[in-house]
Amino acid sequence: MIAYITGIGCVTAAGMGCGRNFDTFSMPEGPLPKLTSTDVFKKPYKHFGRMDKYSRLGLSAIAFALKDAGLEKWQKKRHIGIIASTVYGCLHTDIDYFNTTIPNKGLMASPNLFAYTLPNCFLGEAAIYFGLTGESFVTCDPSISRLLSLKIVMEAMACGEVEKMVCGVCDLGRPLIFIQGKEVPPGSLFLAIEKLPESNLSSYGELSLEKDDSMYFNKKKISDLTSLVNECIFNKI
Amino acid sequence: MKQALITDVATVTALGNDLGQLWQGLMSGKTGIKPVRHFPVENYISKYAACIEDLTLPERPTESSRIRILLDRLLEKMFPVPTDSFLITATTKAGIDNLEQLCRGNRTDTQDLLLSSILDIVSQKLKLTARGININAACASSTIAVAQGAAMISSGRANSVLVCCIDIITEFIFSGFSSLKALSPFPCRPFDRTRNGLTPGEGAAAILLMSENRVKKDNLSSLGKVLGWGVSNDATHITAPAQDACGLIMAIRQALKRANLKEQSIAAINAHGTGTVYNDLMELTAFRQVFGEHKVPAHSVKGSIGHTMGAAGGIEVALGLKALSTGVIPPTVGFSDPEDGAKGFFSSEPTEILGNYLMTTNSGFGGINAAIILAKGETK
Repeated sequence: MIAYITGIGCVTAAGMGCGRNFDTFSMPEGPLPKLTSTDVFKKPYKHFGRMDKYSRLGLSAIAFALKDAGLEKWQKKRHIGIIASTVYGCLHTDIDYFNTTIPNKGLMASPNLFAYTLPNCFLGEAAIYFGLTGESFVTCDPSISRLLSLKIVMEAMACGEVEKMVCGVCDLGRPLIFIQGKEVPPGSLFLAIEKLPESNLSSYGELSLEKDDSMYFNKKKISDLTSLVNECIFNKI
Repeated sequence: MKQALITDVATVTALGNDLGQLWQGLMSGKTGIKPVRHFPVENYISKYAACIEDLTLPERPTESSRIRILLDRLLEKMFPVPTDSFLITATTKAGIDNLEQLCRGNRTDTQDLLLSSILDIVSQKLKLTARGININAACASSTIAVAQGAAMISSGRANSVLVCCIDIITEFIFSGFSSLKALSPFPCRPFDRTRNGLTPGEGAAAILLMSENRVKKDNLSSLGKVLGWGVSNDATHITAPAQDACGLIMAIRQALKRANLKEQSIAAINAHGTGTVYNDLMELTAFRQVFGEHKVPAHSVKGSIGHTMGAAGGIEVALGLKALSTGVIPPTVGFSDPEDGAKGFFSSEPTEILGNYLMTTNSGFGGINAAIILAKGETK
């Protein structure tokens, strides 16, 4: 199965934006940039401020990836899917929500926070903003490679289910309440993947998924998502 | 493309610890919805849920989630699962009861809180060799998990896939739906004119999918096939369904196309039917749009076992197979005064079905919709 990476978007402790504006990519530990809608969208998007942090983080990177791919504008809804992987999902929001429930035995439970206590909700936000009607779900990927969502997308494309998809990772890092637990760098990184790129922008390169589950970018074996993105940025035109 | 056959299913719901008990309960119009006892509900809109009895055993260590007991109970009903099966789990909140403990300052196992915990627990119990994936897509999680499993078999990427789905009722979930004013003060009434919200339920299901070759090789028989599937997003709202049912219609049409079937071939529908005003209206719009004047016998199980969230799709696939093999769909408990457009589709009595294909649909937060078409299998 072959497809093309046409867009990259990220929000990390090292910065945020579209792949074509970066010379290198990393996902270091550290505080994430404060996100406002004007950092991400051309026009202020009032609803953005009402979202939980996790959704703002994920939606922003998806927005940058679609912009990088030239896919951000639309008039008619498009059959584009989104697959995201995570370790802790929206657990920070879960904690915030349940802390509104405890003090008054549920009387003051926040409906707005509860609406974001499913890790797939930010995919819905992205679908609404960009008119994306394809399959969308979140999967958990504690692996070091963080390639799971990309593999799922490649497999969906191989089945002929969809021609364009967005995939990536989104995590706010280990919640403090978890005394023990895997350290995950905070940040979000999404890629736009197209079977046949149609935008005027050049693709970053060709991605292939082999039968043994190994992935290649421009015929070079890739081991993890970060090194894949760095290869893309190195290859950009 | 290879066909995805289902060779084994198991369910645990408020109507019993196996599919036989669940089916009997549904057919006799029983409900598992009762007053909630395992956390205080006095400040919530509803006092009712479809809870599974004895999920809190005295010997249970306080730090482990109730999902562990439920998973134990589920997996003991399965025939041996091949250890090379690819595992797909589905849950909306995994062991979220442990977060409640944690937020209250109690000692608890944080690992059960992660969505990956179900994968870890099931893999270890069944000694599966591959790690697998978890799918989180709100109340369509397990429907999509079954679709993914069928896609893996169909494309030849796996020849045995175990789908395992689970969700439990916790104060977290209950208070949240109450805050959204989505709970019905009384047991829910899907597709009834007087319906006013959902009733949460807890449950789990396991579904073993195999390729035809693997079924033959392992000398098994098939309970049915996953013939078609479709998944789509409304792209309109994260907690409310699209009024024009655009997403569900798209998912159903994708499923029909993949199954290579015309609308008229569908003998019965297992609707999502949560009992909320907007969900049920949206589904009726979709059914009218897709099936036109052709009134397909349909039912919802939510009035009996509540809305089992991430496990709903899996439980309903298991029930769909039972409906196809017996030629009847259960009554919709709580349905007595039909909503406009529901008459002819839904009934408060068991309904005979004629045909070999059943469609099951689910929708959820985030605007997600999923449809699956099942084909009748051999008699076991």
